[in-house]
Amino acid sequence: MLHRRVYQFFIVFGLGLALLLCIKYALSLSNYVIPGPLEIWMTCREVTGRYFADVMDTMRVAIIGQVLSICMAGFIGIVGRQTTWLGSFVKVAAYNVQAYPIVALAPIIFILLGDGFISRLLIAAMICYFPLLLSVLGIMAEPVRDIEHFYRMTGRLRWQLEVKIRAFENIGKLTTVVAGSATLAMAGTIVAEFIAANAGIGYSIRIALYQSDLGKILVALFLIGISLSVYQGLLEWLGAIVRKAWENK
Amino acid sequence: MQSPANDVRYLRITGPQTDKSEIQGDKRRMIESSMQLECKNMTFRYPGTDTSVFEDLSFHMAGPGFNALFGPSGVGKTSIARMLIGDLEDFSGQLQTRNIDRILYSYNLERLPGWSAVGKHLERITTPEQQAKREHLVDLFGMTPYIGSRFSQLSLGQKNRINLIRYLLQDFQMLIMDESLANVDELTREKIIFNIKALFPDKFFIYISHNIIEVSKFCRDILVLTGPGKKRATAVVRGQDQHAGQSLQQQHLETTMLEIMNAA
Repeated sequence: MLHRRVYQFFIVFGLGLALLLCIKYALSLSNYVIPGPLEIWMTCREVTGRYFADVMDTMRVAIIGQVLSICMAGFIGIVGRQTTWLGSFVKVAAYNVQAYPIVALAPIIFILLGDGFISRLLIAAMICYFPLLLSVLGIMAEPVRDIEHFYRMTGRLRWQLEVKIRAFENIGKLTTVVAGSATLAMAGTIVAEFIAANAGIGYSIRIALYQSDLGKILVALFLIGISLSVYQGLLEWLGAIVRKAWENK
Repeated sequence: MQSPANDVRYLRITGPQTDKSEIQGDKRRMIESSMQLECKNMTFRYPGTDTSVFEDLSFHMAGPGFNALFGPSGVGKTSIARMLIGDLEDFSGQLQTRNIDRILYSYNLERLPGWSAVGKHLERITTPEQQAKREHLVDLFGMTPYIGSRFSQLSLGQKNRINLIRYLLQDFQMLIMDESLANVDELTREKIIFNIKALFPDKFFIYISHNIIEVSKFCRDILVLTGPGKKRATAVVRGQDQHAGQSLQQQHLETTMLEIMNAA
């Protein structure tokens, strides 16, 4: 699972880089526009250590943001699964609010909270939260009638059991959604850093952009991609362990 | 104009309705204490459809014991079951039960959660006083070797047997068994039905099945439902209501089956 994700990333990144170099040589572009392999290698040796620390900083924020999102989406999803007035209200509100692009709100967050950790965390959590919420809501609001019927008939279906049944029956979907949301959390953090923050790999990419240094950007992309692949692979692996443990308990 | 579907009169009677001056003594006491299921002029169609599942349906069944709903798919057997448990309410006419407070409905597609063995699930839904009964039922239903298995590891027949056991361990007066013994071989099914009859003589069972031999043999009142467009919509045929140890005359069984086929 983990190694599959990593080698898939190597293939995709390799293909992207090859395409870029093909364009460079086909159009005879200068090293200033698209650096050659040697320049990229030199840049890589120069900035990898610093960029790796930046990626880890970004990832730390993304992971905390993702955990927050999972907790919030779980809570709201459980409340919103009900067919009551409150449940319907939460569902409608979630569908409507998620239609608004969170990135557009980012400047307000930076103005109000400054360009530090909290702003990055908040934007990462918000970008990750809504897609996660919609998936959790969809799963939790869908009754598993063939299992729930008996408990409903005999008056044993408390909310904890209902949530447990629905989570168990959809554990594969939930694991996939959580692993997928890691990309969103990372993207949210990078976007936040790119807009206004003063740390993280997004901030480094912004500086590289001002310097028009594509080599640095490529190194940053490689480090982001490889770190994210490893993280997602770990999440999938953890999900498989949880599923196996639950099924064999 | 008010549609018949809006005229909902779902009535559950727990006391007697008979005119007491007409019937006296033991007979009156018997009627008052017996379980009754009565349906009068009931019409039902699913919302958004033009075709009625059944029209002007009337029948009466008395308990305890095994009674059946019989008929081809789509004639409303499951709909009647769902009306009885209050799942469907948009019907016109009357559906009355007397001396039946607690109705359970089991069907053959039900599943147990997969996070623990079926034995554990049965333990959780059984009161301490019923532990012995649970073990007895598991044994009678031939499920003892599979009690440590997950539900997904069982065959279809075993799944249905486990599901039925958990319903039988509940507090109920009427149990609707909607194809609850599907995929169980005939001999085991016969043994199970005989055992249920012996162990629960004071309960009212409604057995929904497509098997004409089975309903003719084991049930007392068999409501035969026919599809819309037939001249006579329903008929209640008297079944053989066989119990364990009772011999059954082949000729009587064939007569019942013939009556059902004529009614269908």
